[in-house]
Amino acid sequence: MAVGRKKISCPPYAEGTALSERDISERRVTLFEDHPNLVYSWTAGQAMSRFLNELKNGKLIATKCEKCGRIIFPPRIYCELCYKPIDGWVYVKDTGTVQTFSISYIDPDARPLEKPVIVAVIAVDGASPNMGIMHVLGEVEPEKVYIGMRVKAVWKPENEREGAITDIKYWKPLEG
Amino acid sequence: MEVEIVKGLKFHKKQDVAIVGAGMTTFKRRLLETGKELSYFAVKQALEEAGLDIKDIEMVVMGSAPDAFDGTALKGEYLLDGAGGSDRPYLRVFVGGGTGVFAPIAGYWHVASGLADVCLVVCEEKMSCCHPHPQSAFKYIWDPILDRPLKPNLIWIFALEMRRYMHVNNIKHEDIALVSVKNKANALDHPCAQVAEKITVEDVLNSEPMALPVRKLDVSPPSDGAAALIMVAPHIARQLTDEPVWVTGVGWALDTTHWTNRDLYFPRYVAEAAKMAYRMAHITDPRKQIDVAEPYDPFDYKELHHMEGLGLAKKGEAPILTREGVTARDGDLPVCPSGGLLGVGNPISAAMGVKACEIYWQLAYRAGKRQVAKEVTTGVCQAWGDLMQVGTVMVMSNKR
Amino acid sequence: MIEKIVDPEKMRHFPPKGGKIELYWVYTSGRAGEEFFRKLREGKFIAAKCKKCGHRYFPPRIYCEFDFSETEFYEITGEGCVEAFTVATLDLNEEPMEEVIAMIKLDNTDGRIIHVIKDAKDVCIGMKVKPVLRRPEEMKGNISDIAYYKPV
Repeated sequence: MAVGRKKISCPPYAEGTALSERDISERRVTLFEDHPNLVYSWTAGQAMSRFLNELKNGKLIATKCEKCGRIIFPPRIYCELCYKPIDGWVYVKDTGTVQTFSISYIDPDARPLEKPVIVAVIAVDGASPNMGIMHVLGEVEPEKVYIGMRVKAVWKPENEREGAITDIKYWKPLEG
Repeated sequence: MEVEIVKGLKFHKKQDVAIVGAGMTTFKRRLLETGKELSYFAVKQALEEAGLDIKDIEMVVMGSAPDAFDGTALKGEYLLDGAGGSDRPYLRVFVGGGTGVFAPIAGYWHVASGLADVCLVVCEEKMSCCHPHPQSAFKYIWDPILDRPLKPNLIWIFALEMRRYMHVNNIKHEDIALVSVKNKANALDHPCAQVAEKITVEDVLNSEPMALPVRKLDVSPPSDGAAALIMVAPHIARQLTDEPVWVTGVGWALDTTHWTNRDLYFPRYVAEAAKMAYRMAHITDPRKQIDVAEPYDPFDYKELHHMEGLGLAKKGEAPILTREGVTARDGDLPVCPSGGLLGVGNPISAAMGVKACEIYWQLAYRAGKRQVAKEVTTGVCQAWGDLMQVGTVMVMSNKR
Repeated sequence: MIEKIVDPEKMRHFPPKGGKIELYWVYTSGRAGEEFFRKLREGKFIAAKCKKCGHRYFPPRIYCEFDFSETEFYEITGEGCVEAFTVATLDLNEEPMEEVIAMIKLDNTDGRIIHVIKDAKDVCIGMKVKPVLRRPEEMKGNISDIAYYKPV
């Protein structure tokens, strides 16, 4: 019979040998290191290929679904709510509203950054409400950013654009 | 748009499911043992509590998060022999951070369907293999075209969600920091805890900024660890113990990876999963009918966010409950009495040890110093993960 | 329906020149592995025997996967006989190479080791082989501490 209530405290013991950073860096325990050489090239698909081509031209494009009436951004070839193909392309503006933002002091490998990055979710004008993308903000002090702030995209010069989300350098506050 | 996913579901099952044993290893930033050895220790502890031998186990479910952490592709297969998978049907499930409660749900299917009478559920994680920091493996969750060129860190989405939650509900960081203070203090009574300590709200607000508003003491650490649970059919439970804990409801739901198209202040996917689990468990008023809860708390604001998703508090009300002490161990609705991920550690899927295993121990009155003050009948545990997509919920009760 | 892109020049791959997945892993050997490599530094091989069913594990483990009971370590010679072998002619990057890789059943255990065989004119199944270890100061704490196997 298993032990009944209140007679034991679970978990009764904690098995496991903790190691410190130095145990690893000074090789006090046996180790094996591996660095895989993985190279990927992701196909953008129908909708994102058009999206990237339009970015090269300095424009933002979305798709529309006639059934639910949404203008979907970033564009997809299907409407995931109606579960049917979308009905057409629509250009949207390169201005928008900040939905939420954060001031980041760390890089992708969790190392500290010297200058913080301001990242935000921007709901783009012309698309349905809440249709946002993530991007960085620039030309603004971190303390001055607020939810609801109006922003406009700052593009790279035409000859530097390569058809990537980074063709927009950052979004800056819209004056007025 | 409210989508009623529960309407068409039929909850036919062959037999009820009980939990009779649980086990876990310590959670630490880096452990010497391999993943196989960690799984073995967790399973051994669970078998000891249940009074069973490995030969009594009929099927095994393993839950483990991305292969990228352990650096071993086909990780489920690699962990098999340590998890007791030799000579019996073995399955790996994985749904990001939600695996901690999803693996027991998969174990539930095995027994409720009648395919097995004794099913072992194991979760294991070795995040320390990934250098320089486990965060590096998270780089590959992001969309390669829209997000990765901006060099994001996963903390960014949590920071964006936290900011939205604070803005819509008008909540101050001080109220959110109370959760971190509570959980880290609760974890002082947990033998496996990694970062249990007594801190104050000022400590949280002055800690190192990561991606504001998220600061270092708002976040749970990456950990290595393993946990195990044993689920059995009613006739086996009767032979083993007078007081099994029954699984009365399960639910899971996912939302889209187009996370920028959602309003982040409310976790809709958790609400959908909870609706499914509550319907199965015949719970109509979660705030009154749930006695103890373990929502997933990798960040302090997530505990509040999930409490609202689980229906334990109205939208915006969760910080008020925390401030008034309702969610403390001696309160009316104790939340994360184990210390949660903020206090004990966050080994992604092995967080089952502080979620599902903790609710089981609380309902079996075996949680020792962590036992909540009030009488408990029904508990809920929940996990969450991926790109803020998945909600997995399990409701348990010690009365059938 | 929308007009689909059919011109391959317009279909995009991202990033155009291939994105690298930058990952770096450091694996610990675990409790059994630590013991194994420490003994190897002293020139000794160990295996593990289950206390309940007597199954002799190589590589050594701290648990028996069938009974879930503990094991105890014991010493072995490290010698064995070839159960299967192959001649590898391409390496990881598909460059030409020539190496004999064999599966060697170790004496006094129920387990096998995969390793390279050198200094052998003809390799055949059933051939007896013995290990050649690196010098202790060159040992790194992984399986390459055994440099190769050669015929007895």
